[in-house]
Amino acid sequence: MDERTIRLKINGREREVSLPPNVTLLRVLRDLGYVDVKNGCEKGDCGACAVLLDGKLVNSCLVLAWQADGREILTASGLGSIEHPHPIQEAFADTGAVQCGYCTPGMIMATKALLDVNPDPSEEEIREAISGNLCRCTGYAQIVEAVKEAARRLAGGGDSG
Amino acid sequence: MIGKVEVKPLPKVDLPPLRQVGRPLRRVDALGKAVGSTVYAADFSMPNMLHAKVLRSPVPSGRIVGLNVDRARSIPGVACVLTARDLPGAKLSTDMPGQTGRKERAGSAAPVLARDVVRFQGEPIALVAAETEEIAEEAIGAIELEMEETPGVFDPEEALKPGAPKVYGDDNVVARWKIRKGDVEKGMAEADLIVENTFRMPFVEHAYLEPEAGVAWVDDQGVINIRVCTQVVEHFRSVAKALGIPQNKVRIRGTMVGGGFGGKEDVTVEIFLALLARETGRPVKLVYTREESFVAQSKRHPFVITHRTGVKRDGRITAAKIDMIADSGAYPYLTPYVLLYATAMATGPYRIENVSVDSVAAATNQPFTSAFRGFGGPQAALAYEQQMDEIAKAVGLDPLTVRRANYLRRGDETATGQRIASEVWLEETVTRAIAGLGEPTPSSKTRKVGRGFASYFQSYGRITWFHDTSRAWVGLELDGTATIRCGVPDIGAGQANSLCQIASELLGVPLERVTVYATDSAVTPLAGTSTATRQLYMSGNAVHKAASAVRKNLLDRAAVHFGVGPDAVDLADGRAFVKGDESRSIGLDELASACAADGIPLSNLALFTAPFTDGIDPETGQGDIWPDFTFGAQAVEVAVDIETGQVEVLKSVACHDVGRAINPAAVRGQIIGGSHQGLGYALMEEYIVKDGITQTPSLAEYLVPTSCDFPATEAIILESGSGVGPFGAKGIGEPALTPAAPAVANAVADAIGIRIHEVPITPERVLAAMKRGARWRG
Amino acid sequence: MTLPKFELHRPESLDEALDILASSPGAVPIAGGTALIVDMRGRRLSPPVLVDIGLIDRLSGVRIEGGEVVIGAATTIAEIKESDLIAQHSPLLSEACGLFASPSVRNRATIGGNIAYASPAADTAPPLLALDASVELASASGRRTVPIDRFFLGVRRTERRDDELITAIRFPIPAEGTEGRFRKLGLRRADAISVVSAAVSIGPPADGGRRVRIALGAVAPTPIRARRAEEALSAGPIDEGAILAAAEAAASEASPVSDLRGSDWYRREAIRALVRRLLRPVVEGRSDG
Repeated sequence: MDERTIRLKINGREREVSLPPNVTLLRVLRDLGYVDVKNGCEKGDCGACAVLLDGKLVNSCLVLAWQADGREILTASGLGSIEHPHPIQEAFADTGAVQCGYCTPGMIMATKALLDVNPDPSEEEIREAISGNLCRCTGYAQIVEAVKEAARRLAGGGDSG
Repeated sequence: MIGKVEVKPLPKVDLPPLRQVGRPLRRVDALGKAVGSTVYAADFSMPNMLHAKVLRSPVPSGRIVGLNVDRARSIPGVACVLTARDLPGAKLSTDMPGQTGRKERAGSAAPVLARDVVRFQGEPIALVAAETEEIAEEAIGAIELEMEETPGVFDPEEALKPGAPKVYGDDNVVARWKIRKGDVEKGMAEADLIVENTFRMPFVEHAYLEPEAGVAWVDDQGVINIRVCTQVVEHFRSVAKALGIPQNKVRIRGTMVGGGFGGKEDVTVEIFLALLARETGRPVKLVYTREESFVAQSKRHPFVITHRTGVKRDGRITAAKIDMIADSGAYPYLTPYVLLYATAMATGPYRIENVSVDSVAAATNQPFTSAFRGFGGPQAALAYEQQMDEIAKAVGLDPLTVRRANYLRRGDETATGQRIASEVWLEETVTRAIAGLGEPTPSSKTRKVGRGFASYFQSYGRITWFHDTSRAWVGLELDGTATIRCGVPDIGAGQANSLCQIASELLGVPLERVTVYATDSAVTPLAGTSTATRQLYMSGNAVHKAASAVRKNLLDRAAVHFGVGPDAVDLADGRAFVKGDESRSIGLDELASACAADGIPLSNLALFTAPFTDGIDPETGQGDIWPDFTFGAQAVEVAVDIETGQVEVLKSVACHDVGRAINPAAVRGQIIGGSHQGLGYALMEEYIVKDGITQTPSLAEYLVPTSCDFPATEAIILESGSGVGPFGAKGIGEPALTPAAPAVANAVADAIGIRIHEVPITPERVLAAMKRGARWRG
Repeated sequence: MTLPKFELHRPESLDEALDILASSPGAVPIAGGTALIVDMRGRRLSPPVLVDIGLIDRLSGVRIEGGEVVIGAATTIAEIKESDLIAQHSPLLSEACGLFASPSVRNRATIGGNIAYASPAADTAPPLLALDASVELASASGRRTVPIDRFFLGVRRTERRDDELITAIRFPIPAEGTEGRFRKLGLRRADAISVVSAAVSIGPPADGGRRVRIALGAVAPTPIRARRAEEALSAGPIDEGAILAAAEAAASEASPVSDLRGSDWYRREAIRALVRRLLRPVVEGRSDG
């Protein structure tokens, strides 16, 4: 197989990488060090690998890396850090929405995708937006609360304590 | 349908007020996970690292007649290929290895790699380590494996028949337990009615989001380091044994686990990694695919449970005879103990004088079964709570009346004669769960609404004849921050955070200034397994003990500083102060320095021991088994679409007495999450195996609940303070799951007036039950 | 698991894509890849050459042309779900796209990919059958259009030749007053493969009868039209009796298999229920819940 050099803008940073076509975006992201993008099933069933590709939520395990050439990718670690967490991440941490945490990065990207287009979602809309992200620990309730809380904070509601 | 219930006020409980414990503080691990900084087992790499793959048997029962790895070995980039021939005598003890000082249970060994006989689809046969994952896959494909399929047995009842193919020993019997209490024949004779039912439960898959993974390397001291997601760091002992090396030459560095639920309780990748790291002298990484995780690791035990109950017209049970058959799958693993749990909890939280339980677990050529949240308790509850509703129907009383006629009370004995010392809030929890459902949703022509509930009890803490212990080290740094060192594996329930909150409470150090170093078999005091709902009880108590010792030293020294008695001093918010006169205070950093200068210890290593008992009587099953039980209930309202058979959960309320909630948000998360797994167990989860071959190989076929499937379970947390954990806490991890499925089963039966004796209660099973006699997928 | 080796072309024009398909034996078009990548990873498929059509502008988008709705084959399911034109002219298709897989899969899966893959349970197929859609195919040697009810030949088999690309799917704008809806039944309430699915489209009264389309998914080797069921409703009043007859006919026209998701018996029961349920609001003149 021929390798090709592709350019990916990941979390605001331009990265160049040479690779064959049979590598998924999930694999290349993890190889480049973005291990916050998780592999839960590698076939689109669980959402653990979800990232934003040009602002749209996708399962990175189902995108060939070459197909992301020249495009922008946002992962959870690009959204915020320990020092500067994004309000969505803080809301998750504060609301008990994080247990084992393995679904969390993908869940947070699904939340970002939702709030970007629907800043004041209903419970039903939240549940629908995260319906492709499996969580085995929380039973989803506190995640839904976290999304609502994140929406509130992003609208200028401030930390509810 | 269950009618209105009266909720009586709770008995008065004097819970001492606490500052940090009891608050839903942000967990210490939460933000790291939310920003993606937490490094899980598969996220870690070492320089010069190899990638491993496992060759697994495609057939469930057979003999290996040819195994040639020459071609595989010769592929460029392949560092090593190992088969059973390269590991003389390497055995994996599946019997709680490394956790206690006990002798291993005879017959509990499985081969690390199959040598001649293969007993299940997915059984490991060879290991490959190569420069890249791609090369490792190629090498697996290049191994010449010739197998001769042999007749297998795929049903435990078949396995017990004479002449069945032998999977284990000479009769396929992996374990048996029995309970003989009172006089069952007499009790049956006294009964007005006898009610008999049989219930069936399938294989269930843990489906944690994180597949098994790890990295191993040999360090500069020749110690094999294994960085792995595990519920048990003590597996270093099993690894040492399998490799034939000293125990102090294996180090397990456990990571934050992406879900365990019992599936990462047994050895998974550790021995494979150690073998390959040793053989190649290089770091090796092994990450299971999801499909591999499904076939490689354990499942929840299928059970067939028959209840035969003698009952009086007023609902009192006079005798219970219960038979249980469990599927142990291809290797024993923790089957004998799962069977024990199911046996000892077979009668439910009820006071029954005359009890006879016979249980047997048989080996089959199916996935091996082992620990899964509840460990036999959920299966027992699915049977006993449905049986209680059937008894109610038979005697013409409402289901709650029948429960009330039989509920255990504090001081009563279980079916094994264990006296219950804690509060037994069955009445308190069931009434609140039912009341929480509110007004019934009306049925329509096509949707029948039904309500059901389940009361339960579930042990927490391990079997007491295992002589369980846990250790923790707690120290105050000179700047007033606190450090905990504890071997505890955190599998997502906040095991590590609870310890921090306890230390924070006792030392007066704010939670954000407590750091925990955990899960390293070489440098953190061993705390035992994160299983059996034991960590809060065991390690929480160990931390409580260690922190209390440090606290005492701090109070004594502060008392000298203030010129008062130690009882007059308290610690909070990073300061030591005189009670009632908080202007008289010093920072903990100042106090720590003062202690250090005086040679007063600022740290303590504590050992906490559970009660140590002897085993139960093998003939009667009588004896103490656990430190304590959690009691509670769940109530559920469902709507059954009588045209399609679909079951929708409309409302779900769970009420548990958790003793004391260290972190109420975490407790709530456990209740909702455990309930969700139980709702899934009731309605959609079935790991289907046909002739030993998995039919549900991925998360597309094996369905776990999504965010759209069930409403949030309302979690009502009660605190009796009567647990044996720190601050009177009980355990909630497993108990949270136990009542959910039987509550749903009872609700469906209420809705359609017909009981379905199996789970999952799929739409097809509902429709078939309603159209009796129609052909349906069994 | 890694993916097998393949050559990947990313043509920027349709002609370039067609040339590659014509000259590379075993070449397979890939759009969203949500089915293909799964099959390749599972080694069920190992095409030596993939032709990524994602860069070809004209294959994407929804437009009206000559009284028809035209959907580019590479239009994603999410785009169709959000499309105002589709919502206006064929809410039946919007509904189906809204129930398709999961949000992240919808952002990549395409309508062309869904029908090309031809799973018997493909969720866009019953709506397209109910809309009398046709499939536009292009190759280096020409263009042709195939009516959708002749497009599916068997499980995973379609009219598309190896050297052809689906370029668009088109259907006539339904007459004013047409009611259409889609429903699927799965073993959980989101992200589930259909056990059965059905799409229904009932036109306004015309020439003493009406246009009725009832299409079923996951109950035959291909998605099918239940023509006897349609006949039962094409003339005369649509009353409870006619609906029951139609539902019964649909159940008998289905030829479902038994698999791990359901038995053939259950699938017939479910289709009967689903068709009845989809038709009922037409009688009652209001939307069903």
